[in-house]
Amino acid sequence: MRIVIIASRIAHRKWLRKYGTAIGFLGVVLLFWALKPTTFMTLPNWLNITQQVSILCVVAFTMTAVMVVGDFDLSVGTMASLVGITAASLMKSGQPIPVAISVALLVGVLGGVVNGLLVAYAKLPPFIATLGTLTAFGGLALYISGGNTIYGRAIPQAFGQFGRNGIPLGSIDGRAVNLPNLTILSATVFAAVWFTLEKTVFGRRLYAIGSNAEASRLVGIRVRMLKLLAFAISGLGAAIAGLMLTSRLASANPTQGDGLMLNAIAAVFLGMTMSEQGEPHVLGTLLGVLILGVLANGLTQLQINTYIQQILTGSIIITAVLTGSLSRRRS
Amino acid sequence: MVRGVRFLLAVGLVLSLLFAGSATAQDDEKVVAVLTPYLASATTQIMVEQFEAYGNTKGWKVNVIDTAGDLAALDSRIQDVVTQNVDAIVISANPELVPAGIESANGAGIPVFGMDAGSTLGLELDVTSNNYQMAAATASYIVDRLEGVGRVVMFVHPPYAPVQKRGVIAQSIFDNTPDIEIVDQVFVAVPGPIENARNAMENLLTANPEPGSINAVWAAWDEPAIGALQAIQAAGRENEGIVIVGIDAIGPAREAIAEGSNFEATIAQDFVGIAQTLADSIEQHLGGAVLPQKTLYVPATLVNQSNAQ
Repeated sequence: MRIVIIASRIAHRKWLRKYGTAIGFLGVVLLFWALKPTTFMTLPNWLNITQQVSILCVVAFTMTAVMVVGDFDLSVGTMASLVGITAASLMKSGQPIPVAISVALLVGVLGGVVNGLLVAYAKLPPFIATLGTLTAFGGLALYISGGNTIYGRAIPQAFGQFGRNGIPLGSIDGRAVNLPNLTILSATVFAAVWFTLEKTVFGRRLYAIGSNAEASRLVGIRVRMLKLLAFAISGLGAAIAGLMLTSRLASANPTQGDGLMLNAIAAVFLGMTMSEQGEPHVLGTLLGVLILGVLANGLTQLQINTYIQQILTGSIIITAVLTGSLSRRRS
Repeated sequence: MVRGVRFLLAVGLVLSLLFAGSATAQDDEKVVAVLTPYLASATTQIMVEQFEAYGNTKGWKVNVIDTAGDLAALDSRIQDVVTQNVDAIVISANPELVPAGIESANGAGIPVFGMDAGSTLGLELDVTSNNYQMAAATASYIVDRLEGVGRVVMFVHPPYAPVQKRGVIAQSIFDNTPDIEIVDQVFVAVPGPIENARNAMENLLTANPEPGSINAVWAAWDEPAIGALQAIQAAGRENEGIVIVGIDAIGPAREAIAEGSNFEATIAQDFVGIAQTLADSIEQHLGGAVLPQKTLYVPATLVNQSNAQ
């Protein structure tokens, strides 16, 4: 009898550990629904939320790849700014949109490769290496733009409209409802990263490196090359996010992406609370981003003081991660 | 563990209900949302506080949202207050940089107003000071004081449109004066403009050690001017006659000017006037009146030692 009770307790704890964050998220959603019954749980508001988090999603999904191998990338925010400025400058100088996008994506991948070389081959700690590139990319964005915001006619209408438009779904109360292009784009990136990390040999090797890099090397996994590729993925994600941001705001500011980095890391950590071993998975990251996005949306609708919002969001991140790590330690 | 989680959830629930209960407007109360990425800036803070106080006397619930420099978040929060169906939206940022949010407000028929926004795209009205005029006044002050000869350091911040306009005008005036040389145009990082300007000024003073090698500092707003003053005083070079000017006339700037330091002049934007004119115009608009123009300039005054206190 006693064994059965203990076994059931352990199963209960395991279940709670795995789904605790998701349950907490559900609780927050229900709370907002109850307090704002006419505006929160509506299709337009949820489509809005998906659009609002789409840019952070792309950065966080691709950052997950770097965190899977046990590193992290602090430079994604300034890289997004740099890519936005690069694309906007090219468009301003009359280059066609596809050229501007291609060069901008290339800049992102190259930045990621630089990070990868510094961490995997030069053996710099990722904190130092990406802190250095964070500063350098930010400086480069300011240098290229002369500190100015590029906006107005410099951004072609087709490019600026993409981030605001979507596929028409019909209308509610006389207002058009669209599935935002940015939501579709971030869903595509989600599918690609999920497939790469969870369903390919490459992905499984990344997890192996994250779990034990030395053992992985001994069994013949090319640890350095795979780490470099993980950073390249992160750089590419930051570039896509930078382009999305420039399109959504129809402007490029040399510091506009800088805030993405901390939120992306927070989202991955929130997502890690959902896994048994505490390793990052892109599905968990999605939940992490949604938690941040729903909190920002709901708390704004409840007219909660903007500084109190920050305190609440920070406390919720700490509570979730602490609950996850404590329950793992106990078991 | 389970008990702990339940406890935390319960505390969170109670706290949230408390906050929500205290913040929700009554049904007949007008709700005006004020959104800005610049609430950490002293001047934006004064305007927003004045607007909030004046709005409250009109019986409005004023909801202030700051996104700490993040324009994408500002865009998102505008959409959120549109969803919330507020009666009016005030933004203290360039509307051209948050087009999606402005479009959603326009689409929902919620009027958007600018508080020193610098552009009227999608707005009913922008109430502001004339940044070109203010920069012309302070740059001319330097040219006149130096009698057209000298080396000037400029502190600028082009990403913020109103401040960018100031820099362009000041540079034109200096460029148009043959014997004025611009030593350097320093980009001041925000947040932390005082500290950043102080560091930059220290470096420029080190690089230009000869007395008289820097004659004036033109700052696009007061905080970098204060940083420059601190650097000059710390280097013991306050007696070289370096003239400092700023814009905005915030408290510490007025004090420094009143003390007779190198900080000689600034411009007082009428923030109370901006906030009150804006609130009155919103009241008229909500009452059904048609606003006659899209931009209203509230006059600014030069502040020097004679009127700094």
